[in-house]
Amino acid sequence: MTDAPTTDRWIRHLNLLQLVLAGIIIMTPTVWMVLSSLKPSFEVTAYPPTLVFSPTLENYVELMKTTPFVSYAVNSLIVTIGSTSLGLLFGIPAAFAVSWTRISWPAILTLAARMAPGTLFLLPWYVMFRQVGMIGSYTALILSHAVITLPIVIWVLMPSFDGIPRSVFEAAQVDGCSVTRILWRIALPLVGSGVAVAAILAFVFSWNYFLFALVLSNGDSKTLIAAAFNFIGEGSTQWGALMAAATLIALPPLILAALVQRWLVSGLTLGAVKG
Amino acid sequence: MASISIRNLIKRYGTFAVIPDLNLEIADHEFVVFVGPSGCGKSTLLRIIAGLEPITAGEVYIGDKRVNGIPAAQRDIAMVFQDYALYPHMRVYENMSFALELRGTPKAEIDARVKRAATLLHIEPYLDRKPKELSGGQRQRVAMGRAIVRNPKAFLFDEPLSNLDAKLRGQVRAEIKALSQELKTTMVFVTHDQIEAMTMADRIVVLQSGTVQQYDTPEAVYERPANQFVAGFIGSPAMNFFPVEWRGEDVVFSQGGATVPLPKESCAPLRRAGKGVLGIRPEHFAVAPDPADGTAVTIKLVEPLGSDTLIHFDLAGASAIARVDPSLRPKVGDLLSLRPQPGKTHLFDSSDGQVLQ
Repeated sequence: MTDAPTTDRWIRHLNLLQLVLAGIIIMTPTVWMVLSSLKPSFEVTAYPPTLVFSPTLENYVELMKTTPFVSYAVNSLIVTIGSTSLGLLFGIPAAFAVSWTRISWPAILTLAARMAPGTLFLLPWYVMFRQVGMIGSYTALILSHAVITLPIVIWVLMPSFDGIPRSVFEAAQVDGCSVTRILWRIALPLVGSGVAVAAILAFVFSWNYFLFALVLSNGDSKTLIAAAFNFIGEGSTQWGALMAAATLIALPPLILAALVQRWLVSGLTLGAVKG
Repeated sequence: MASISIRNLIKRYGTFAVIPDLNLEIADHEFVVFVGPSGCGKSTLLRIIAGLEPITAGEVYIGDKRVNGIPAAQRDIAMVFQDYALYPHMRVYENMSFALELRGTPKAEIDARVKRAATLLHIEPYLDRKPKELSGGQRQRVAMGRAIVRNPKAFLFDEPLSNLDAKLRGQVRAEIKALSQELKTTMVFVTHDQIEAMTMADRIVVLQSGTVQQYDTPEAVYERPANQFVAGFIGSPAMNFFPVEWRGEDVVFSQGGATVPLPKESCAPLRRAGKGVLGIRPEHFAVAPDPADGTAVTIKLVEPLGSDTLIHFDLAGASAIARVDPSLRPKVGDLLSLRPQPGKTHLFDSSDGQVLQ
């Protein structure tokens, strides 16, 4: 028979093992990508793979020389910041309205839209944007990416708004606040961390979204993720440059994801009510 | 400052009527306490007055103004919530000044009013603190301060003391009562604690299932309860009830048939009704000097409270409690002869619980 402390120790070890395995599975492709981007081009596809090599930035130099990488990055930033802002602009009031009224079907509708495959929207949008001459415009890309950012903002913020004690809103009502003022003066300052998380997640998802940018952009508005697809040539792929591009594309989401950690610790509502 | 009038109020959730039909008049400057068990509709009624809960039918007046459909923001009332509901991101000063700021009150006046309220409530040292940096009692005071600065037509309190410990509750209870006397504003206070109701109210509304059981002064509610529910709810420990009958020329316990030692003048209502329920408060039992003048009981449990002692016993098939002088030093198993104090008994109809006249 095993005593309780021994069982607990085994459970802790198994938990740790799970975490390590999950970490390895998640991190291996990323580490591989970063290492490959730093290898000389002849070593990138070498078999067996080389683990010890002299790091070089030649792939990054090659990438910058042969592609308008910075222009693509600017396009990505414009589309991502635009769609994230649009998502926040409409998502914050929408999440608050759902939480306030406790009518959840609009939120479920937006989630269903998010769950639907992108191709479902792509064809009607392509036809619609072509008819109004907007194919290749930032506006078309920003509007299409709002389908990704809006549900994220709504679904991240709904629980945050729900987490504020109802009585705080009621106290504001009694104090003389309209619903709009309650949102801006009371609710929004209390869900600051939620807004930050929603904004960062929306940014990451929009940044990484491939399909709409591939079809709705043109040479001038192509985003990084869509441009990276073009680096894969038929039989002449520059794997080193591709890995360098992938590393640079992954950097902003990774940095932002690291920043989310700081915001996740909330505790702002502490002291609002009894306790 | 204003009166509050509630006329033919009905509040339903779906088909369930929380308040079936309620009428209530609260006078200007009056301190009225809504008291009743959980689910009796007292908080709903308060929220209806505040404008936080829509009504199904009826009319609500604050002063001369019919406020049906008028949002809480425009009713000019202040409310103290059970969980205080302070704005966590604002300092105490901002919590208190927020409502005035919304009304466009000049800054100098806001400052003066906040500081006056803070002095009154002894919270001046905390004006720069956030709510999370305050104790429960301090938060409670800030919540009251937030209400006071408004100088509203009426104050509404929704069980504001229930989260405080017993000692603090007693202290804040006294402070609220003193405040009501100083501010001379209409106050409506919801509680399930009958001690709060008895000690603070000018008048008490005893509610059950959304209906007013009795609306009267604390003394009247205690001394002349309108029905068995009120009699059982007000008073601690609760009133003892025994089914009784008129048999021959005596009142007897329905179970066991022992004669109840009651003065003849107290028996008249039962003589007419034939049977009923006899109510005796624990503090209205007296130890009979001559055992033949009382009913013998065997003590089952003794609870010494210091100032007096509670004894538990079975009488006529019911568990009962009596409050006796501690100098009696009762012990479990002792035989005691008890009788009700003259004029302190209550008789209720055994079918509808109404007091027998």
